[in-house]
Amino acid sequence: MTQKQLHLNAFLMEAGHHEASWRLPDTDPGAALDLQHYVRLAQIAEAAKFDSIFLADGSVTMGTGEFRASGQFEPLTILTAVAAATERIGLIATASTTYNEPYALARRLASVDHVSKGRAAWNIVTSATQEEAANFSLAERPLQATRYERADEFLEVAKKLWDSWGDGHFLGDKERGRWGDPTQLRAIDHVGRHFRVAGPLNVPRPVQGYPLLVQAGASEQGKAFAAKHAEAIFVAHQTLEQAQAFYADIKARVVAEGRNPDHVLVLPGLVPIIGGTEADATAKAQQLEDLRIPEYGLRQLAMFLDIDEATIDLDAPLPREIVEQEVREGFDSRARLVIDLAQREKLTVRQLLSRLGGGRGHNVVIGTPEQIADQMETWFTQGAADGFNVMGASLPSGLETFVQTVVPILRERGLFRSEYAGATLREHYGLPRPVNQFEIEVAGV
Amino acid sequence: MSNRQLSLNAFLHDTGHHEASWRHPDSPVERAHDINFYIELAQKAEAAKLDGVFFADVPGLWAATPYRPTAHLEPITRLAAIAARTERIGLIATASTTFYEPYNLARLFSSLDILSGGRAGWNIVTTQSDAVARNFSLKEIPSAEERYVRAQEFIDVVTKLWDSWEDDAILADRGSGHYFDPDKVHAINHVGRHYQVEGALAAPRSPQGRPVYVQAGSSNDGRVLAARNAEAIFTAHQTLGDAKAFYDDIKTRAQKFGRNPDHVKILPGLSPFLGDTEAEAKELQEYVNSLTVPAYGLGQLEGFAGISLRHLDLDEVVPLELFAGSGDVLDNNRSRVQVVANIVERDRPTLRQLLHRLAGARGHNVVAGTPMQVADLISDWFHGGAADGFNVMPPLYPQLLDKFTEQVVPILQERGIFRTEYAGSTLREHYGLPRPNSIYSDAAGQAAAVTTA
Repeated sequence: MTQKQLHLNAFLMEAGHHEASWRLPDTDPGAALDLQHYVRLAQIAEAAKFDSIFLADGSVTMGTGEFRASGQFEPLTILTAVAAATERIGLIATASTTYNEPYALARRLASVDHVSKGRAAWNIVTSATQEEAANFSLAERPLQATRYERADEFLEVAKKLWDSWGDGHFLGDKERGRWGDPTQLRAIDHVGRHFRVAGPLNVPRPVQGYPLLVQAGASEQGKAFAAKHAEAIFVAHQTLEQAQAFYADIKARVVAEGRNPDHVLVLPGLVPIIGGTEADATAKAQQLEDLRIPEYGLRQLAMFLDIDEATIDLDAPLPREIVEQEVREGFDSRARLVIDLAQREKLTVRQLLSRLGGGRGHNVVIGTPEQIADQMETWFTQGAADGFNVMGASLPSGLETFVQTVVPILRERGLFRSEYAGATLREHYGLPRPVNQFEIEVAGV
Repeated sequence: MSNRQLSLNAFLHDTGHHEASWRHPDSPVERAHDINFYIELAQKAEAAKLDGVFFADVPGLWAATPYRPTAHLEPITRLAAIAARTERIGLIATASTTFYEPYNLARLFSSLDILSGGRAGWNIVTTQSDAVARNFSLKEIPSAEERYVRAQEFIDVVTKLWDSWEDDAILADRGSGHYFDPDKVHAINHVGRHYQVEGALAAPRSPQGRPVYVQAGSSNDGRVLAARNAEAIFTAHQTLGDAKAFYDDIKTRAQKFGRNPDHVKILPGLSPFLGDTEAEAKELQEYVNSLTVPAYGLGQLEGFAGISLRHLDLDEVVPLELFAGSGDVLDNNRSRVQVVANIVERDRPTLRQLLHRLAGARGHNVVAGTPMQVADLISDWFHGGAADGFNVMPPLYPQLLDKFTEQVVPILQERGIFRTEYAGSTLREHYGLPRPNSIYSDAAGQAAAVTTA
């Protein structure tokens, strides 16, 4: 049977994605900085044969205040430690092209790919906030266009560096005293607008050729970038129709870039709140809702919309001037999603905050395991998703419940693997190992 | 009776510190970039109660050579994996102040310190290589003076970031919904010549307060940086006399900065070939030396000394005048050349002999002897005011680390100068270093901190 399979990624976040999850009696408020918490979550996901786990990131103490765990690990560091305690599961780390140097980041990613034996992935972000710029000696954040231009060149440099070692470099010939083959090592001598990088890298070509390249962010610039570089895309949608439109759009853009649309997987976020009955699920959602601190949500909303929180009235709809404004600097795709949601469902700000509390604009589905599996199947078979970014509202319990109750249904329906077929993350996602660009040149001559 | 204890570090480096180590028939050369190889070495070092493991680093290719391993995974990454499979041993990574952003570096070491339960150390280097500069959009490396000025500001920024959350900032009060106390999380608002950083760090204060500050390099600027900031110093000396002079100099300088000299641990490199008899140890050394490829060593020496040696016969005594212009050991960039000049002057080696001396550990002290002889040397330097411990650099991994931990360490333990059990759980505790308070935790400290900017 060769039925198409969906892909499942566990998006991990301290005690859970719901903003009040750390206040639940069964979560650990110190989870954000506990290695064993992440090891345990990774092992749960691996036992369930998930494709990967994922950590978001920003180089900033999150500016949303004292009502939520703010401190966090740098993702590549914690995921490397997790790699040492797991065997198969992919490890997706967020890192910024705006606040890293390509040589250093390409090297760390290649290192993690070697340490994990081919399980590393990079969620590429360009870091939009003023707070991040202020941590990197910049008076003003770079413009979006500049950030994406730099990101594009960053990717070009990173790929050259990963290709700077031929796969056949290692000889280990003790007899002749030849450890490596110098003809398999190439300077890259990149000269561009943002970077001048000589190379070669000081790490052999990653096990996967390149780490898997992931992108999140659905702005125009983000979509163009994803179509060119990304192999998996994380995205937030509230409705099937929006998800279908995005899916069709991105796949068309990928084709226009001359790429195979099957090699770009679209994975919308899904926050499942699961109960044995619909009433149980609703009660669980209500328990979380009761623990929410409105000030926290308000600050986060103000951050999404890039406005002053003092201008917002909780018991009125979003102000007209915000709703009607055009796309502008600092106003990204998530802001658009939030405004659309508020308008479509005619929500007051207070109601809107409640809707955003579970997953910051990602799709929260409250129901029985069957209902959740039904929605996943619909999105998967109706051209809206190649899989899902599963976001436990509370962790580990939200992931455990999903694995125990929803995954078996997906398997029964033939939609999800029961065993890993390969060893690397690219193999889990059904993606090819990239050909070395310098070998192509040699072959072309 | 003084209860002064040795600090011992295992300096991990490919298949061994000897450049030809990988050609030894027992060398696991195919594992030189397998993380499990390094995890096993760290576990052995931990079983022997060593203080830490250490990776040197350069963010570029050390030498595009076919003659020895040249691949080096990024050290913080390696140590994060090692952290997950060890419990107590310290984890020291080199990272450059010239090529990192302070915010990123502060986060990486903070993450390593938190996930390892307080075992991280940062070996602070400024990186002296045009080739590396060209990987980072620079035409050439900034001058040593410039790099060290920048390094000091970098360290100040990183320190403020590590201190930016007070130790008791996290409340995690489920009832009230207050996760942290905003009055105890500080913007650092650093404004300096090279960096403007607002803060706070994206993570709370780590178990050690600050990871341990380590420094290597004996130039004048390096010594100032070390005396002012470092809590452990890795250094290369060939003789007890040289080591003692360095030791006295650093401790005096540290005192002048108002620091307690006992909180600056001086750890010279030591690369021991061990045998059951002295003859056996020397035979092993000779054998490994015979595996070197002269073209490699010659290229290395010419590179860092900045002179041509190709016209010399391998078996000709190296003329003194070739190294006559090596300058003072305190010159920036020149401290390692001076070590070579001293060997040439003192021992009058042939070029081949010189290359063999350097092949062992790039100018560090290579010895060949029995476990008792090596333990004696360690005791002599330790009691003779030349060392607080050693950076142990086995010429061959894993076999000569095994011999060191199984045969030298027990002698040191018997003599009461090395622990038989870990007394603490953090690297600071192993080294006997205090846990620093956050500069933001009291008003006086805050004022003092601001003036260092």
